[in-house]
Amino acid sequence: MFEKRSTGVLLTLPALVFLLVLFVLPVMVLLTRSLALPEGWGLGNFASFFSSELNRTIFWRTLRLAATVTAACVVLGYITAFGVLSYTKERRGMLTGFVILPLMISPVARTYAWIVVLGRTGFLNAVLTSLGIIDSPLRLLFTETAVFIGLVQLFLPLMVLPLLSALENLPRDVIPAAQLLGASRLMVLFKVILPLTREGLVVGGTLVFTGSVTAYITPAILGGSKVMMLETLLYQRINVANDLTGAAVIAVILVITTLAANKLLRRLATPRQRQEAR
Amino acid sequence: MNELLVLDHLTLAYGRGAPAVEGMSLSVKEGELVSFLGPSGCGKSTTMRAIAGLLTPRSGRILLAGEDVTAVPPNKRGVGLVFQSYALFPHLTVFENVAFGLRARKESAAVIRSRVEEMVAAVGLAGFEHRLSTDLSGGQQQRVALARAMAVRPRLLLLDEPLSNLDARLRIEMRAELMRLQREYGITMIYVTHDQGEALALSSRIAVMNRGRIEQLGTPQALYAAPATPFVATFMGFENVFTVDGNQLAAGDGSKLPLVQQPGAGVQALAWRPQAVTLGSGPYSGTVRGASYQGDSVEYLIDSAGGTIKASAAAGSNFIPAGSEVSFDLPLAGAALIPAGAGA
Amino acid sequence: MQFLSRSLLWLVLLFLLGPFVVIVAAGFSAGDTLTFPPQGWSLRWYIKIFTIPEFQHSFVLSVWVGVGATLLALVLGVPVAYAIARYRLPFGETIRTLVSAPLIVPGIIIGLALLRYVVFTLNAPVEITLLLGHTTLLIPYAVRVVSASLDNLRSDIEEAAVLLGRSRLGAFFAVVMPNIRGAILAAFVLSFITSFNQVPVSLFLSGPGVSMLPTQMLWYMEYTYDPSIAALSALLALGAMLMVFLTERLLGLSRYM
Ligand SMILES: Nc1ncnc2c1ncn2[C@@H]1O[C@H](COP(=O)(O)OP(=O)(O)O)[C@@H](O)[C@H]1O
Ligand SMILES: [Mg+2]
Repeated sequence: MFEKRSTGVLLTLPALVFLLVLFVLPVMVLLTRSLALPEGWGLGNFASFFSSELNRTIFWRTLRLAATVTAACVVLGYITAFGVLSYTKERRGMLTGFVILPLMISPVARTYAWIVVLGRTGFLNAVLTSLGIIDSPLRLLFTETAVFIGLVQLFLPLMVLPLLSALENLPRDVIPAAQLLGASRLMVLFKVILPLTREGLVVGGTLVFTGSVTAYITPAILGGSKVMMLETLLYQRINVANDLTGAAVIAVILVITTLAANKLLRRLATPRQRQEAR
Repeated sequence: MNELLVLDHLTLAYGRGAPAVEGMSLSVKEGELVSFLGPSGCGKSTTMRAIAGLLTPRSGRILLAGEDVTAVPPNKRGVGLVFQSYALFPHLTVFENVAFGLRARKESAAVIRSRVEEMVAAVGLAGFEHRLSTDLSGGQQQRVALARAMAVRPRLLLLDEPLSNLDARLRIEMRAELMRLQREYGITMIYVTHDQGEALALSSRIAVMNRGRIEQLGTPQALYAAPATPFVATFMGFENVFTVDGNQLAAGDGSKLPLVQQPGAGVQALAWRPQAVTLGSGPYSGTVRGASYQGDSVEYLIDSAGGTIKASAAAGSNFIPAGSEVSFDLPLAGAALIPAGAGA
Repeated sequence: MQFLSRSLLWLVLLFLLGPFVVIVAAGFSAGDTLTFPPQGWSLRWYIKIFTIPEFQHSFVLSVWVGVGATLLALVLGVPVAYAIARYRLPFGETIRTLVSAPLIVPGIIIGLALLRYVVFTLNAPVEITLLLGHTTLLIPYAVRVVSASLDNLRSDIEEAAVLLGRSRLGAFFAVVMPNIRGAILAAFVLSFITSFNQVPVSLFLSGPGVSMLPTQMLWYMEYTYDPSIAALSALLALGAMLMVFLTERLLGLSRYM
């Protein structure tokens, strides 16, 4: 009954035409702008982008933040998932709900909350001052740390969900089996749990890393003009300088970075070659 | 011989729930193979988890070679466990599965290599070292699980229904294999099963468990000849169990047969195997409800005043068709005499 | 050990959810600036946000775009999910990649491209472009959620329905639709929330008096430091919680994430 391929193709046609006209075409035209030079085509725009020290700083900062945020989310993700799993099945649903709740809340609201917490006259400074830990308020906002904190809070749920499902689907009894063979907690973690949850780790890692590379709201609100990332730079190229070519260059860099991260992490996800005995 | 394992009034429970095992005491000697035999849910796995250190007892003590190990974590006990699910590490090869415990003990590469090869050969899997454990058949996975647990030379090896996921032919084969390995390595084992045939074939002693307690502990011969409780009798194949009620035999459902010959004082119940029921003559009568041909014998279900009686006759004897009236006897000589006061 | 891992979990939850408690409190401030502890308590900021016309307009626009784009994405996406689940499509892998590509391309690039080549070049109204841009972004969600549900549905039930005399389309509505209704509702909720919260695609797509609520909030907070944004953020957070709670109750939303 489902052998007539033309029916299937027909069903996909409206969406494909829609995406081609309103997504693929405009995005492609925009991206090719990055190769347009006054005297023809070439990579000259990329060379001049990277010749600017500010641009290089922003590029490396973006990669650095994405990497550290991902690392932090991995550690916190396992901690959170283990915590949820230490409760009975009935309780886990509610706790998972708490974890995914932030995903449903406007990122603008989520990020703005950190202004209220980290600001000069904000919650944290008020608490620390009243406890006598500090005399004058700390400068927390518009620092890389603030952006880091904001991104971790934004993306942690995306790491916890795949890790939770990987841990819940761990084969029966492998952890007690490892313990009984004499494995310490660390050995159980590194030799059994990590390898067996690698796929979840990679799914979560990809989401967090690409999300951080392409973050706009968090650096815009918590980093300001001092701590720019690639997306805030792109926005600025258009809104301040009306530099479409420069924006297209950044767009290409963003797309390449996300695709490369996707590929690389996916390769890590496929099981290692059969381990040879030494 | 020395006592390797002593369970001293163990009470085991999950969370705050009712105990799954209550007041269990048992001692196992060096080199023995003790079976835990009992129906599903009677607490066999729970006891194993406690011995292995995966479950902290609510009360009671566990002694290993005289030392109190109740609070010792599982990775320091030197107790091996073969799981019903095998629990092989799916990301590791056969070699690495078997080497896992040796690596945890930081053995040298040479020791690991020779020990793994020895164990893999001992379970008949030489040549499979570099397969992923998930690429193996059920029987092969079972062997890897055994080799992995034995490679670290545990003081005590626990096996939790290790053969229940295999087909019947393979089960018998692995049973023999297990006995050979036990003899060869002299490992003390506790073997969990719900299959009485398996327990009878393998064990030095059998502990029959029911509802979190040991009903009877003894050699296979002793249990088979003289079950101490109606429950054990049923488990040992005495399928017709009656309590002695004055001069009557009372079946579980309340129906009764007159007692022809008094068994003497102190007997609480009488039980007959199907083979011990004589057909064709005797003081009782009933209707054959069903007859099923078994090859060398015929099994009969007989509706009588004492409920359903299970009887078995040699295949050569007269076939009695379903629906016919038949008289039968329950001879005292063929009965197991279950003493009063023992068991539940 | 269990105590430790539970304590750590609650610390993480404090990190994830604590800031929302703080903004709810900040919104109740009586003062003119965001300070802690707030200078007195009042409802003035929670009331004020309802009187700011920019917020009113952008809220209405956000809701319309969210609903419209979600419906459009479902109309386009459900047939794709069905075709992928039931037919051996030529270039199947390419089709799958294409319908999920909007998730991989940064939204700001989609928004910029639409601004340049749809609004500027084709002179399309900004509102329509916003709707189309959001639809692009939501198609992957619609396809993914509905596909997952169709994969769990045996295809022979439609064959049975056709053998019993239904038309192909009739069979779809009679036996497939009732079984994927939950997934479609879940896709609707997820898509709407995604659209409503979306910033990067909308960032460039605005005009005089036309902007989405999150974009409007970003602009507003550049110029003012009063607690109104805290109040609005708190309300949005509470609204989202309510929505999640309700849909989880009714649909078990987390099954589809
Ligand atoms: N993880 C658990 N949590 C709560 N109760 C359990 C758990 N495992 C087993 N039980 C209960 O403990 C009792 C004994 O179970 P178990 O030892 O697994 O039985 P067996 O291995 O003899 O089949 C059963 O009533 C079972 O429901
Ligand atoms: Mg069991």
